[in-house]
Amino acid sequence: MKAFMKKILKTLKKNRNYLISLGLSILAAFLLGALLMLVTGYDPMKGYAAMLKGAFGSSRVFGNTLAKMLTLCLTGLATAVGARAGLFNVGGEGQLYLGGMAATVVGIWLCGLPAAVAVPLAFLAAAAAGGAYAWVPAALKVKLGVSEVIATIMLNSVAIYFCTWLCNGPLKTADKGLSGATDAVPDNFVFGQVIARSNLSTAIFYSAVIAFLCWYIMEKTSTGLEMKVTGENPRFAFFSGLKKDRIMIWSMVASGAICGLVGMFEVYGYQHRFLPTISNEFFFDGMLVAMIMNYSPLGIILMSFFFAVIDIGASAMELSTGISHELSDIIFAIIIFLMAAEGGISRAFSARQLQKKARRQIGGREKVCREVEPK
Amino acid sequence: MNQILDVFNMGLLQNTLRSATPVILAAMGGLLTEHAGIMNIGMDGMILMGAFAAVAVSFALSSAAMGVAAAVAAGILAGLFFALFVVKLKSDEFIIGMALNTFAGALTVYLLRSIFGVKGTFSDKGIVGLPKVHLDVLDHIPFLGQLLNDNSIFVYVTWGIVFLTWLFLYRTPYGFWMRAAGEHPQSLETAGVSPVRMKFLASILCGILCGLAGAHLSLGYLTMFTEGMSGDRGFIAFACVLFGMANPPKVFLAALLFGFLQALGLRLQSAGVPADLTSIIPYASTVLMMVYVVVSGKKKKKKR
Amino acid sequence: MQEKIQERAEEKGQTPVVRFDHVSMQFPGVLASDDVSLEIRQGEVFALVGENGAGKSTLMNLLYGIHTPTAGEIYVKGKKLVRHEPSESIEAGIGMVHQHFMLVPSFTVAQNIVLSREPRKLGIFCDLKKAEEETRQLVEEYGLKVDPKAVVGEISVGLQQRVEILKTLHRGAEILILDEPTAVLTPQETDELFAVIRRIVREKNMTVIIITHKLYEVMAISDRVGVMRQGKLIGVEETKNVSERILASMMVGREVLLDQLEKTGKPGQVLIDVRDVHADDNRGLPAVNGVSLQVRAGEILGIAAIEGNGQSELLEVITGMRPLRQGQVFIAGQNASGKDPGQIRAMGLAHIPEDRIATGVSSQSSVKENLIIGKERQPDFAKKGIHLRQSSIARYASDLFAKYDLRGAGIETEAGSLSGGNMQKVVVAREFSFDTPILVIAQPTRGVDIGAMEFIHQQIIRKRNEGCAILLVSADLDEVLRLSDRVITMYEGRVTGEFPAEKIDRMEIGYYMTGSRKEEVGGESVYEEDTENTEEK
Repeated sequence: MKAFMKKILKTLKKNRNYLISLGLSILAAFLLGALLMLVTGYDPMKGYAAMLKGAFGSSRVFGNTLAKMLTLCLTGLATAVGARAGLFNVGGEGQLYLGGMAATVVGIWLCGLPAAVAVPLAFLAAAAAGGAYAWVPAALKVKLGVSEVIATIMLNSVAIYFCTWLCNGPLKTADKGLSGATDAVPDNFVFGQVIARSNLSTAIFYSAVIAFLCWYIMEKTSTGLEMKVTGENPRFAFFSGLKKDRIMIWSMVASGAICGLVGMFEVYGYQHRFLPTISNEFFFDGMLVAMIMNYSPLGIILMSFFFAVIDIGASAMELSTGISHELSDIIFAIIIFLMAAEGGISRAFSARQLQKKARRQIGGREKVCREVEPK
Repeated sequence: MNQILDVFNMGLLQNTLRSATPVILAAMGGLLTEHAGIMNIGMDGMILMGAFAAVAVSFALSSAAMGVAAAVAAGILAGLFFALFVVKLKSDEFIIGMALNTFAGALTVYLLRSIFGVKGTFSDKGIVGLPKVHLDVLDHIPFLGQLLNDNSIFVYVTWGIVFLTWLFLYRTPYGFWMRAAGEHPQSLETAGVSPVRMKFLASILCGILCGLAGAHLSLGYLTMFTEGMSGDRGFIAFACVLFGMANPPKVFLAALLFGFLQALGLRLQSAGVPADLTSIIPYASTVLMMVYVVVSGKKKKKKR
Repeated sequence: MQEKIQERAEEKGQTPVVRFDHVSMQFPGVLASDDVSLEIRQGEVFALVGENGAGKSTLMNLLYGIHTPTAGEIYVKGKKLVRHEPSESIEAGIGMVHQHFMLVPSFTVAQNIVLSREPRKLGIFCDLKKAEEETRQLVEEYGLKVDPKAVVGEISVGLQQRVEILKTLHRGAEILILDEPTAVLTPQETDELFAVIRRIVREKNMTVIIITHKLYEVMAISDRVGVMRQGKLIGVEETKNVSERILASMMVGREVLLDQLEKTGKPGQVLIDVRDVHADDNRGLPAVNGVSLQVRAGEILGIAAIEGNGQSELLEVITGMRPLRQGQVFIAGQNASGKDPGQIRAMGLAHIPEDRIATGVSSQSSVKENLIIGKERQPDFAKKGIHLRQSSIARYASDLFAKYDLRGAGIETEAGSLSGGNMQKVVVAREFSFDTPILVIAQPTRGVDIGAMEFIHQQIIRKRNEGCAILLVSADLDEVLRLSDRVITMYEGRVTGEFPAEKIDRMEIGYYMTGSRKEEVGGESVYEEDTENTEEK
């Protein structure tokens, strides 16, 4: 236990500067958010209070916050898995849709089978659909050099429209009072609730396993090291005899599979049927989390809780105060800007410090000075 | 058979011009940053900001011209902001670009809500749209007249901008400097011109052009602002830049092709194909376009 | 007549055209210039010598305004530099030809030469015709032949250097700084360059500052010489008063101990067998055109060639980094043609790449991680090939660390923040510790300080004495000559000559490096051939 604490302290110390700037960035982002509320005629204190209450106010909303956290955490980890191997999977949204759709179709199709058979098959279907959809841009990138960023963004829209078409057309439910949705997944297949009346289902346990695996593979195994080296310098990886193409493609496929499972969790854990609005750009929020945390798995797991609080809180805030919940995304973006700026600022700062030190050493004659850029 | 022929009518070509215009504008901007050595995937956000600023100011001042000016101003700000991070602070282009898109998307919705008190879409008779151009001379030319008349003024302005972009890049010193800043910044710096300044300039010009693209979207034919109305056009423009290898006329053609595909989708819709499916066309074809570019590029290399 | 020469000498001796006054430059972690005071005189050729990293280039970059001095002042023709920007120095009449050329590859020669001061028409447009005309005039005035319309990326390195010099002249430079100008030139091209320098100093009364670490060049071209070591200016001498020996000891701070490499043992069986290999460069143009060679156990085969003559591509083909278009490669008797680097490494080959940053390390990974890559699935370092054993990795890395004397860093340091010498040592340590019978080595000591260089040379010789087959490529001809048991020359992707140890002759090799055309070598023919190439494309 003591050793464990020591390890944590060591990690904290190693990342001290990073954590300090992260804390300051978050603080500043909230201040800027408050400013925005003031300018647009709202009371920031009321806004933030509503946000906190909306995230923690009752066991139900707290359950919703945790449910949101797992979505953010998994999509963030999915981004990180791809990014670690050097591929930016911006297509998680599309993979999420297809994964959710595949799991739904399998669930409806296997209705009547015992859940112990059908649900694992739905898992497989979701992961396979998401993974396969990520394989396309990965292979295009690795084999041909097509930009995976643009390809995945385009494929998002393709998947979303395709699933919407399925909901409105071939798979349209016959249930009354519902338009643009598929049939419901049989009741005995869906995940049980963990906190009553909240969105939190047993998906959180599956998510925990996936998150642990992501962390373990990326941080503790030879595979993780190979991914890191490949992502950082593919030429070096190739030179060292690693199968860089295979590593890149499989990382992306894994990333897509995770997103596919998130889609399934949305269906089996919450909606119980596929709706075209199954995800409201959930993946992009997860991606922001991953970016802020520099694609570190542990960081993503922790930070996703914080983001979930803001996100769920913001929705409640909109209901009670009328402030648009988009405030949460504004705050996220500002945090990223500040973190990105901080990198540059601290670089300039340390250079200036060095310059000062040098001048002191030399004898402090008055000199013309300009920023030193290490070349 | 008749149904298929029906799809290819005058409306298709007119729609091609209309759909292509914002993409052309944004792509010209993206082409400049591409030459200056910046991967600009923040264009979508820039377009969105331009669109919002145009509608807001056009509504407030009842003037389309002021709306366009506001879109340009928003573009300049966005371009400056982007360059500040990417060029000056040397942050990751990808992260900043994506964050800018998120920021623009969220901010416009937030402001829509808090200023106009609406969610999703803001349309009002008070928003003044861009004027349409009608030349009587053209009425006498049977086919072209119908095609070229009654378009938003931006359609014509855009063609001029394509030419100007080409002229700028390949015929003026600033264009040379901008290309040098992207290809070999040190050589420009040692020649006494700051590559950082050229990159800033490229980013700001890109912001302006994206702002104009946004203004065309929100004031061109429909006078309204819709949440996320850029519809990934910034990314499609980026794909067009790659497709046209950052060469203005080629990028122009790529964007026209995109416009044609989108217009085709609209026509197919009226022929009974579900809207959800036709909406896929531009996105899927963008991916195919990129694959084609790379494959044909490789073949060319082999031939040499 | 006699008087006139006297007068000119006086003039040379009197007027300082550049003056450094207690100039210091601090980079993060390095004091690159340490309180340097120096005067350069009008109309002289001043040589600045020192080992890699001694601060020569930094001092000149300060003069050229690329860096701002941390302390001290710089005067050009009596005027103090204030803004410390290249534009200010250019105005003051300074021109610099950098070691890495400052040319835009896709622009033509003329466009490069007029960059930033393009002749204009109608105020805002470039007048390209006029630019070409101006270039042609310069070419004629200074006799530096080059085609104004040629695209810079497609002409030879020697010609690119001329473009660089013309560029500075076009800007009206009176003081010309040449940073390691001969590093990429053949001995013949070097002679031509020196002729040009002498001519512009004599006829145009220019001042030339030449940075180099080749002492025989200092003796050949300079009037005065300044020696730098670890950022300090050790001394300034009239060239006629010093010898190479004196300069060398000033540079290193002690007697130079080079040339004491002990070679023992005899060549054994053939381990690298290359048969009629053809391959293309990154642009898809033929780079290797039918090369055959063999390397035996216990010998070092050195390839002497000017950069860009296919030697880098050849090495990449052998190690699997580059696709083979035609021919065969056998590694330790096994067919390695068209195999990937992983498969070829498994045959018993290790490889030191020419560009350590681009190919040799993962900059954002730690030294530790860089040292075990390639072994990360061995049971010693990973339980069942999966779970990394951190402690044994750390122990292994620390051992290598001590053995290769990586001072000033730790095993957790990011590789990207290491100095050039240390980073190269990491690469050498990793590759040599595979204990393979075959080594392919490119540019083993590029940009490395002399201590690390000696160390790496000793390691290479040790490997040879242990019976390894070693194929070596270096842009530094001296290094090739010093280490190799046998030397072959390459020119335009072909082997042009082979020299066993006892027949190695510097000048002779120089001729073969230019395609063994002793008579034809000269400005004229090189120029014409290059324009032909350009047209073909």
